[in-house]
Amino acid sequence: MTRYQSIPTGLDGLVEEGRVHRSLYTDRAIFEREMTHLFGGTWTYLAHESELPEPDDFVQRRLGLRRVIVTRDGEGRLHGLLNRCTHRGATVCRQAEGKAKRFTCPYHNWSFANSGELRSVPLPRGYGPSFDRAKLGLGKIRVESYRGFVFGTLNQSLPPLQDHYGTALSILDEWLDRWPGAEIKLRRRTHRLICNGNWKLIYDNAADGYHPGFSHASLLRMRKARYGGGVDMQWTLGDVDAGLQTVADARNGCTFIDQRAEIARYWDQAAPMPGEEAYAAQIRARYPEVAERALDVVVGSGMNLNIFPNLLVIGNQLQVIEPLDVDRTDLIWYATALEAPNLPPEVNTLRMRLQEDFPSFGEPDDLANFEECQAGLSIPEMDWVHVGRHMDTGAEYDGPRGLTTGPVSDELPMRVFWTEWLKRMQSDDEMRAL
Amino acid sequence: MDDFLDDGIMGAGFTLEQILTDAVTSPYLDDSYYDLLRQDMAEWEAMGQPLSEAERASHEALILQENWLLDRRAYEKWLHLYSARCLYWIPAADGLPAPEVADPQHQVTIAFDDRRRLGDRIVWLRTGVASAQIPVSHTAHLSSGFVRVPTVREGEVKIRSSFLCHEIRAGHPVQVLSGWMGHVLVEEEGSWKIGRKLVCLLDAGRAHHNLTFLV
Repeated sequence: MTRYQSIPTGLDGLVEEGRVHRSLYTDRAIFEREMTHLFGGTWTYLAHESELPEPDDFVQRRLGLRRVIVTRDGEGRLHGLLNRCTHRGATVCRQAEGKAKRFTCPYHNWSFANSGELRSVPLPRGYGPSFDRAKLGLGKIRVESYRGFVFGTLNQSLPPLQDHYGTALSILDEWLDRWPGAEIKLRRRTHRLICNGNWKLIYDNAADGYHPGFSHASLLRMRKARYGGGVDMQWTLGDVDAGLQTVADARNGCTFIDQRAEIARYWDQAAPMPGEEAYAAQIRARYPEVAERALDVVVGSGMNLNIFPNLLVIGNQLQVIEPLDVDRTDLIWYATALEAPNLPPEVNTLRMRLQEDFPSFGEPDDLANFEECQAGLSIPEMDWVHVGRHMDTGAEYDGPRGLTTGPVSDELPMRVFWTEWLKRMQSDDEMRAL
Repeated sequence: MDDFLDDGIMGAGFTLEQILTDAVTSPYLDDSYYDLLRQDMAEWEAMGQPLSEAERASHEALILQENWLLDRRAYEKWLHLYSARCLYWIPAADGLPAPEVADPQHQVTIAFDDRRRLGDRIVWLRTGVASAQIPVSHTAHLSSGFVRVPTVREGEVKIRSSFLCHEIRAGHPVQVLSGWMGHVLVEEEGSWKIGRKLVCLLDAGRAHHNLTFLV
């Protein structure tokens, strides 16, 4: 089944200039190493602070296959905890989210503070002098937050988040700063989509400017048949490399598609959304001074920013890749609202409706194609996946921020991903809970 | 594309060409409509009464006809069952969702289709190039437990029912959806139409594999 002799040295032959080996998508041993050396081996997105706004709030998440709890303690500090009792190993938290000062294991009632420390055990006289409570807190993940985005790692030798992902986070600033002073808020429900394919098929696609005119033919044809030209995503038709979109290497495995130059007016190029005319009229009548700008922030940002290995900031949504097995992935789309004192609340009603559009008419076609990739990649006699588009056409250049940039159909983002992937998979860094 | 006659044995319907130009704006989903949905959610809680023979003949029959048209993939006829200011709504929260987790004015949903988006969905399904529908889904709907739920809204009838929906696409395992539905029926041009359809999936909060068919 595998062509390499041992991980990690054998991985070199699987990632070549312009092509990668199919087993990277199908081999369970590789998948298992990814779950420790990528997910948790580097800064990995866990949650958004607006999901746990108050002291003692928590959400349960996955860090790779590990079940983890992201908490806010009584003083409002964030913690990342491994959801595993230090007694017999049971999970101590079984709710998806909630409020808790303590997590008490239901099996023998060992009880932990929401900052991780072991607070109490029943019948303590059963433990003698060797029992060191201070060493029996929940395993702790190193967590850092940037403007509400909480990342975690078990790699104690990584530089701080803002140093490691500084370039991507500076692009995230632009995504966040479309309305001065506004904050994004989650807890607006999710679309949760199952893909019977390897998780990397999703990351590959997130900065793939080559596919939309083809993979999204259904959406584009429906829109054209119903509304003519001019609406959402028309820039994906024809020779996209002659257009204004670009892709860029956002460093350390992060990638970026910038569509903004194609958008003359966000509101005019929005996808259709229920209530569009009703609320556009209401916003214009009630808030004439800010109405047009407000309508523009209903619409997605025109940016796809992908933060290695699992966060895809696309449109107005945060997509989080949750690998479950080598050929099974959940893709969670977190809807976002935008809140600011001077921003009409009607904007968010429209944003909810607009954020239902792509999960209905776009993403399902991609997911179907990813699953068919998985099926094709299972054929042992065909070894390679081609990732060489625009690798040697001379089309890449030093773009904004000094980043390597290419025309939008350039597969530069895949090559960027694989470079970081190999580095992390071959790393000797020790993964350790605090 | 499925062929059909305008008034064939499956009943009246639109043509795809008519749907292309039907409802290309979205003017009616406003604050008062969302108020109405919050009122609906409160009313669905109530105990229902089994249908009378007359109610079965008009209301239950309409819902069973809807199931049949969906199972036949007769979407152009199916849309004809809906009112001009209709809504097809699948919350992304389990059970009978509490307003704070499922108020669609503030929360994203699995489906929230006004008349325009229903048209989009049908045209999308009929493009024949949607990878998520190659091959197409086939469904078998089973509805039971029809009860009429009281409503303060004059001229409207609220029917609650339980459902099972099996879906099959060649090459994929059978998917089973279950839960309950609420149909708000309204009279329009002398006949009963579906004004609002609510589909509460048992597993609405979980991940799903390809919900691009109509439930």
